[in-house]
Amino acid sequence: MNISNLTIQKAHDGLVKGEYTAAQLTQAYLDEIKKKNKDINAYLEVYEDALDAAESADEKIKAGKATLLTGIPCAIKDNILFKGKVASAASKILEKYHATYNATVISKLAREGVVFLGRTNMDEFAMGGSTENSAFGVTKNPHDLERVAGGSSGGSAAAVAMNGALFALGSDTGGSIRQPASFCGVVGLKPTYGAVSRSGLMAMGSSLDQIGPIGKTVADCEIVFNAIRGKDTKDGTTIGDDTYPKRRIGKIKTIIGVPKHFLKGDGIDKSVLANFNKSLDLFKGKGYEIKEIKLPNISYALMAYYIIMPAEVSSNMARFDGVKYGLHIGGKDGIDDYFETRRAGFGREVIRRILLGTYVLSSGYYDAYYNRANAVRRMITDDFLKAFEGVDIIATPTAPSPAFKIGEKTNDPVAMYLEDIFTVTANLTGLPAISIPCGFSKEGDKDLPIGLQLMARHGDEATLFEAGKEFLGEN
Amino acid sequence: MITTKELKHLAELSRIKLTETDKKSLVSEFDSILNYVNRLKKVKVSLDAGARVGAVRNITRSDDVINTNMKDRAQLLNEAPNREGDFIAVKKIIALE
Repeated sequence: MNISNLTIQKAHDGLVKGEYTAAQLTQAYLDEIKKKNKDINAYLEVYEDALDAAESADEKIKAGKATLLTGIPCAIKDNILFKGKVASAASKILEKYHATYNATVISKLAREGVVFLGRTNMDEFAMGGSTENSAFGVTKNPHDLERVAGGSSGGSAAAVAMNGALFALGSDTGGSIRQPASFCGVVGLKPTYGAVSRSGLMAMGSSLDQIGPIGKTVADCEIVFNAIRGKDTKDGTTIGDDTYPKRRIGKIKTIIGVPKHFLKGDGIDKSVLANFNKSLDLFKGKGYEIKEIKLPNISYALMAYYIIMPAEVSSNMARFDGVKYGLHIGGKDGIDDYFETRRAGFGREVIRRILLGTYVLSSGYYDAYYNRANAVRRMITDDFLKAFEGVDIIATPTAPSPAFKIGEKTNDPVAMYLEDIFTVTANLTGLPAISIPCGFSKEGDKDLPIGLQLMARHGDEATLFEAGKEFLGEN
Repeated sequence: MITTKELKHLAELSRIKLTETDKKSLVSEFDSILNYVNRLKKVKVSLDAGARVGAVRNITRSDDVINTNMKDRAQLLNEAPNREGDFIAVKKIIALE
């Protein structure tokens, strides 16, 4: 069986036709992981009972009860709870923590008979853009082992790219699904805020976080998205099918808006721009209309993000106290236990963001930072909603550069933050966005993937899937 | 822009122990980050507009106990680093000054 060109649909067909069993399919992925993971470090743990799950899937298939996802092997990011398994968020503070319940996305996929292969590496608590902030070592890019896989869902993107899973779940707070997908040459979707339940996802920035799929094709991401989305009583921010109006796809020409004024800075790699322009030509050739748009406040998006996100981080991280669960380091008294535990358990970037968030929320600075950032967030959202009155899609590169070298940006937090320049707007506005591979940049003897980002109106993932499939020739 | 004294206060609020070397590097990192986000101060905003993330609104439910599974309870307790029987153990918090 050749797993390198499998899709969910093809694997499903193979399973129901009896060309192979789910156990054989799972074994093929486990073999590949065994071969590659020691170099790439995409997985933090491979579940010992993956084959048992595959055997249950086989029974379901034999009984004629298979859905598209039954027996499909997948990887999950280490900040998503799977009952009974370790979920560490790649942090020392949760190194030995066992999830006590299932995330809603896990329950939904388990009901379909998905086979969970293991948990993937990430930046600690999803804070970072390279997985270099993992307490358990960096994830390397399958296209070039000297480079990062991106982050924070770097392990999930690398797992799919190295054929170590047919799809993976990631989480995206400022680009953490799309940027690693771009770096690893795979597809990644950040759904509309509220489309997918966050119950059982370790919170980072609660008004920004979304779980989404990473896969080899747009169609695969669409299948997974449809399986995990939906209203959930355990997440009050989830939306229903009728929350946003639906756009009719097909008859009318799809218009792609491009904020050219935002693509002029010198921070954008030449090969990224060249591939971006080539991608627009490809869309034009397929009958799409390209239109220049203005997003007047977009250059403030990253600044607003790096105020709002740490503010939410500092609140969410307060729960790690060494009392209820996780690491405990004893100090001289009760309060000192907190100081010692949090110091020993959190990595540098997490500590930096907690302190920064505490600063922007503290009295005297609240209006100057947090309140102001929220007002800017609203202005940016209004800019986007206005632009979407005239276009159906907004296109930008996913990241300003292809994968960078390991260690290249670790000493300069702002340089690392600039990685998110194109992706944070989707989180600030709650809009859905997808990254699809659109070409390569030649670096020495290596071809490094480049991603194209498409954003659509709230609730309009369908337009992203349609355009993405056409772009990649999947239709 | 930020002093070591301010940083010490933030660390106290955040319940994180910092060493002197930590403080030094954090002060310079804070400077470069604040330098960057401070450009926001140039934007004309109306501060009472508030944020909006799509169609999010308050949702309430009745305050009923829906899970009384003893197995879940045992698993939750098992995750506590320090336990005494069915209780999570913490240090005494009342001290004689």
